[in-house]
Amino acid sequence: MSEPFYKPRFLRVFTGLVYLYLFIPIVIVIVFSFNSEKSLQVMQGFSFRWYSDFFNDPTLMDSLLTSVQIAVLTMVISTIVGTALAIGLVRAHSGTAKGFNILMLVPLITPEIVAGISALLIFSQLGITLSIWTIVLAHITFSISYVTIVVRGRLATIGTEVEDAAQDLGASKWESVRLVLVPSLWPAIVAAGLLVFALSFDDFVLSFFTTGEDAQPLPVRIWSMIRFGVSPTINAVGTLMMVVSISAVALAVLVPRLFGRRESGVKVLTGAEE
Amino acid sequence: MTSKRFWDWFIFPGGVWIALLFAVPLCLVLALSFGHVDDFGRGVYGFTLDNYKDVFDPTYVPVLLRSVGYALATVILCLLVGYPVAYFIARHGGRYRYALLAALVIPFFVNYLVRTYAWVALLSDQGLVNNLLVDLGLSQQPIQFINTPFAVIGGLVYGYIIFMILPLYGSIERMDPSVIEAGKDLYGSPFRTFLHVTLPATQAGILAGCVLVFLPAVGDFVSAQLLGGPDTYMVGNLIQDQFFAASNWPFGSALTVIMMLFLAVWMVFYLRRASRGEAEVL
Amino acid sequence: MGDIGLNRRQLLLAGAGLLATAYGLSGCTVERPIDKSAAGDVVEPKIDGDLMIFNWAQYMDPSIKKSFADKYGVAVNEVNFDNLEAMMTKLRAGGSYDLIFPSTEYVLRLRNEQLIRPFNRSRLKNADTLSKFYDDPWYDPNSEFSVPYAYYTTGIAWNTNEVDTLTGSWNDLSNEQAWGRIFMLDDFQEGIGQANLLNGFYLNTDKSDQLQTSKDTLLDQKKGLRGFSTNSVQNLVSGAAALTQAWNGDVVNARNQVDDPSIFAYETCKEGVPVGSDLMCIPITSKSPGTAMMFMDWVLKPENAYKNVMWNGYPMPVAGGREAFAKLVKDDPSIDVNLDQLADSAMEYRLDSPEARQEWTRIWTEVKA
Repeated sequence: MSEPFYKPRFLRVFTGLVYLYLFIPIVIVIVFSFNSEKSLQVMQGFSFRWYSDFFNDPTLMDSLLTSVQIAVLTMVISTIVGTALAIGLVRAHSGTAKGFNILMLVPLITPEIVAGISALLIFSQLGITLSIWTIVLAHITFSISYVTIVVRGRLATIGTEVEDAAQDLGASKWESVRLVLVPSLWPAIVAAGLLVFALSFDDFVLSFFTTGEDAQPLPVRIWSMIRFGVSPTINAVGTLMMVVSISAVALAVLVPRLFGRRESGVKVLTGAEE
Repeated sequence: MTSKRFWDWFIFPGGVWIALLFAVPLCLVLALSFGHVDDFGRGVYGFTLDNYKDVFDPTYVPVLLRSVGYALATVILCLLVGYPVAYFIARHGGRYRYALLAALVIPFFVNYLVRTYAWVALLSDQGLVNNLLVDLGLSQQPIQFINTPFAVIGGLVYGYIIFMILPLYGSIERMDPSVIEAGKDLYGSPFRTFLHVTLPATQAGILAGCVLVFLPAVGDFVSAQLLGGPDTYMVGNLIQDQFFAASNWPFGSALTVIMMLFLAVWMVFYLRRASRGEAEVL
Repeated sequence: MGDIGLNRRQLLLAGAGLLATAYGLSGCTVERPIDKSAAGDVVEPKIDGDLMIFNWAQYMDPSIKKSFADKYGVAVNEVNFDNLEAMMTKLRAGGSYDLIFPSTEYVLRLRNEQLIRPFNRSRLKNADTLSKFYDDPWYDPNSEFSVPYAYYTTGIAWNTNEVDTLTGSWNDLSNEQAWGRIFMLDDFQEGIGQANLLNGFYLNTDKSDQLQTSKDTLLDQKKGLRGFSTNSVQNLVSGAAALTQAWNGDVVNARNQVDDPSIFAYETCKEGVPVGSDLMCIPITSKSPGTAMMFMDWVLKPENAYKNVMWNGYPMPVAGGREAFAKLVKDDPSIDVNLDQLADSAMEYRLDSPEARQEWTRIWTEVKA
C-alpha cells in the first residue's frame, strides 16, 4: 500500500476541514435566519420574524414567483431544445455535428458577465423590452449546453440496435426516436431539467443584466438589499432559496433511481462513463 | 430525406438558438467596441479605436493584471485544496463516494450572493471569527479580513472550487490503481510515486479544472464588490460600471472584447483537448 | 482550428459578414428609439392599472405600498436600481415603469430627452404643504414634471468611540485615527464633489485642470480608505467603518440600529454641504400613469409621509414628513437639513454638458481603478 498520500488519516482530516469550510457559511445563513434580533453577529434568540417579514413583503413574494417562473420556463424550453441537440450531435455524423459538439461548450466556459452584456446589447438593438422574457431567453442559452452535455453522456451509452429493430418492424425514423430513444433517455432528461432549474433559479449575473420592467428575480433583489442597508431578511431568503434549489438537485440525483435503474444519479449528472 | 439530413434537423433549433442569442450578440459587442458615446450618454456604433487606446491606458492595465493575478491565485488555491479532497473521495470514499460528492455540490447550489454575504457576516470586524480570536486571546484586536485582496480571492475560491474538484475527481477515479502499485515498485517513496505516476495520470483533470476555474474567476465582479477594498477593482467591476454607472457602453464593450480575446486562448486550448477526450467536460 | 469545425473559407465569410454588419450599424445608437407619442399628454389622477415603482432599494416603507394596494385594489410592485445611470439605462431600453425617483439634475435630463410626462400638480390633494422651494425650480420650470419625495445632505459620519479629532472639514476623510477604516460613497458625483469643495473649486466644476487637481486629492484620500461603498449603515453598524462619507438619512438609520445612538455622529463640512432632492416622476413608458399620480398623492399624505420618514430616515418636504424628521434628529441637529440650504443651487450636483459628465465619470473610473 504505497498510496501517494499514504496516510488516509491526513487526507481524511484535510477533507473534513474543507467540508467544514464549505458548509460553515451555509450553516451561518440558516442559523441567523432564525435570529430574533437584527444582529448578524450575535444569535440572540429563536424566531420566525424574518420569514414572516419575507412572506409579508409583496415585493419579495413577487420576486420569488418571478424566479420560479423563470426557472420553470427555462427548464422546459432548454430541456426540449437541449435534448434534441444532444440526439442530433450523437446521431448525425456530419461536419456540422462534429464542430458543434465542441462549440456548444463555449457558452458554458464564457464568463457570465460577457453573456450578460451580449444579451443586453441584442435586446436593446432589437427593441425588445427587458422583462421576465428576456431573462428566460438569456438563461436558456447557457442551459441548452448543460442539458446537451448531460443527455449526450447518457446517449453515448445507448446503441442504435433497438431503434434499428423498431424501424425494421415498420416504425418511421421519427417514431423510433419518439417511442424508443426518448423513453430510454428520460432519466437523463429529467435530471438535466432539474439541474437547469436550480441553476436558473440561483443565477444572478445574467438576470442582473437582463432584468427589466417585471418583478426582479430574487438574486437581483438580494444584490440591492446587500448594497443598501442591513437586512437579516437576506438570511431567510437565502435559506428558502437553498431549500428550493437543493430539492431540485436532490430530485435530479434521485430521479434515475425512480426510473428503476441501479446507476447513481450523480453519475448521470456528471456524465461519468459506465 | 436522407438519413444525414434527418439528424441534422435535431441540431437545428439548438444551433440556431445559440447562434442567435450567443454568437450574434458577441459580434454586437465587438461592433460596439469601435463605437462612441453620444451627448445623451448612449452608445453609437462607429469605427474608432479610441476605446482600445483607453483599455491599454496605464490607468487600466493594472486592473487587467490584477484580475489575472487574482484568478491565478484562485486557480492555485483551488488546486491545492481540491486535489486532496478529490483524491480522498475517489480512492478512499468507498461506498460513501457519491454521498460525499453530492455533499460537495450542495454549497454550490446556494446562491452565490448569499454565500458571499455569509462570509461578510463571518469575517467582519465584529463577526464570529474575530470575536472568537479575541476571546481566545489569539488577537488583541479584530483582524481586518474583509475589504482586502485576500478576502476577494477567498470569495473566488469558495465560489468556483467545485469546478476544480469535479474534473479532478473524474480523472483520479478513472486511474488504474495497479499503475500506482507499479509506480511504488519503480520509485519507492510515496511522494515520488505521486509526482511521477499519479500527477501525470490525472493531468487531464488538472488542466480542465484549472481552465474551468480561471475563466469565470477573471470575469467575476461579485466577490470584489462585496468583499473587496479600495484596491481590489477587477475588470468585471470595471465593465459592470461602464454599463450601469458610467454609461460608457462602447468602452465597456472594448474591455469585454480584450478580456474575451485573452480568455479565448485558454478556451481554445481547453476545447481542443476536450474534443480529443483529453480533458474532462464538466 | 480544424478540430472545432471551422475552415479558412468559413472564417473569411464570417469576417466579411461581421464587417458588413458593422458598416450597416455605424451611426446607429444601441437602443431603439422608444415611443414618445405620449410626451405632451398631461396625466390625470385616476386608477388605470397596476403600479410598477422603480426606486432605490430600502427607500420606501412597504406598508405605504400595501395600504395603497388595499385601498384601491391594484397591485403595487417595486423594482430597484443601484444608481441613477442604471435607472437611465433601463428606461432607455424601453422598460415600462410607472413611477421613478430621479434627483434634480436627472429630472432635467429626463425632461430634455422627453422620457417623462407632465402632470397637473394642482390635482394632487396633498401637494399644498410642499415646501415653496419646489415651486418652479431650475430643473423643472412650472413644476410640470415632478414632485419632491425626499431631500438630504452629504457629510461625514463617524464612530465617536473611535474618533474624536474631527475638524468639520472634508479633510476629515483623511482622519488619522480612522485611517484604513474610512469609506467613501461609491458615487462619482459625491466623490469628486467633495474633492472639488476641499480644493475650493465650484462643486460642479468642468475645468479640466481643476478636475485633475481633485483627482489627485482623491488618489491621496484613497490611501486611507477601506473601500468605496453606498452601504454606510452596514459599514457603521458592523464596525467596519470608523468614519464614512454618508447621506444624512443613512446616519439616522444607523443610529436606529444600535442600543446607544450617540456612538454615531454626523457633521456637514465647512467647505460646502452638497444637498440633493429626490423627486417623483412619471416615465413616458408608463402603462398606468393615472395610478402613478394617485400614488404620488398617497405618498405625500401627511400620515404616510410621517410613516415613511420614520422608516427610511430621510426628510420629506411636506406636512407630516417635516414633523417626523424633526423628531428623528432632535438629539443631533447636525443631521437636520435647513431648507435654506436647498435653495443654494450651487450646492446641488448638476453636470449640464455631456462632455463634463463624461470627464467626471472617466476621472471616477480612474480613481477607482
